[in-house]
Amino acid sequence: MRNRLKVLRAERDWSQGDLAERLEVSRQSVNAIETGKYDPSLPLAFRIADLFGLPIEDIFLKD
Amino acid sequence: MAQDNAPVANHAPMLWGLAFVVAMFGTGFGARFAGLDGIWTMIVMLPPMLLLIPLIRSTERDGNFAGCSSPALKRYNRRGLIWSFSYVAALFFAISVNDWLKPEGPLLWLIAVLPALPIVYFVWGLYRYLVEETDEYLKMRYVTHALFGLGLLLIVATVWGFLESFKVVPHVESWMAVPVWAIGLGVAQIWHRVRGS
Repeated sequence: MRNRLKVLRAERDWSQGDLAERLEVSRQSVNAIETGKYDPSLPLAFRIADLFGLPIEDIFLKD
Repeated sequence: MAQDNAPVANHAPMLWGLAFVVAMFGTGFGARFAGLDGIWTMIVMLPPMLLLIPLIRSTERDGNFAGCSSPALKRYNRRGLIWSFSYVAALFFAISVNDWLKPEGPLLWLIAVLPALPIVYFVWGLYRYLVEETDEYLKMRYVTHALFGLGLLLIVATVWGFLESFKVVPHVESWMAVPVWAIGLGVAQIWHRVRGS
């Protein structure tokens, strides 16, 4: 699954650490999601969507 | 964009881990080569055990730096130190009592099972980590590493068991299960690290 996390993060000038802090996860988690090595669970995907104020499907895209 | 603070490769945990393994095996083989009995073997094995402290500290420092640390992981590491040193202490006590008192019956059972109790605590610590870890990626990563260790243990135990049945290799005590599992866990962690994920 692809995602726009890096772009959305860049638009806000957040580092991976900033995003990790806001999501209350490790920076490695953010890195793994961004690079497509790990697909987040539905609850975490909803948290990400809430944080960016976007629907999940605007952040996570089908391959 | 803000800096992602990409971690620079830190080899300290791997070097401490290597030093620990080399010191433990080296001392163990050295003790056997020198013909030391149970208690003296335990005594000479104590200094290498102390290497666990810098190993865990450097692992935690590295985890903080690389952004893959969590409160649950820190508690897991603390429990790791507790069970490791309790294990050595219990083993030392059991061997000493067995050598001096030559117990029989229920006392012998009690003494024999004593070193296994820290391992029960260790298994409980594994369970607690999985319960307490709120970071799903770190949890998934740990489960993957643990399953790799379990896979290695099942393969080694089965292959060795059959070799033993056919009298090709000598008997190995079943308490070796935990060290073999831990080696598998360590290999999986290093593999993950080398791949940079």
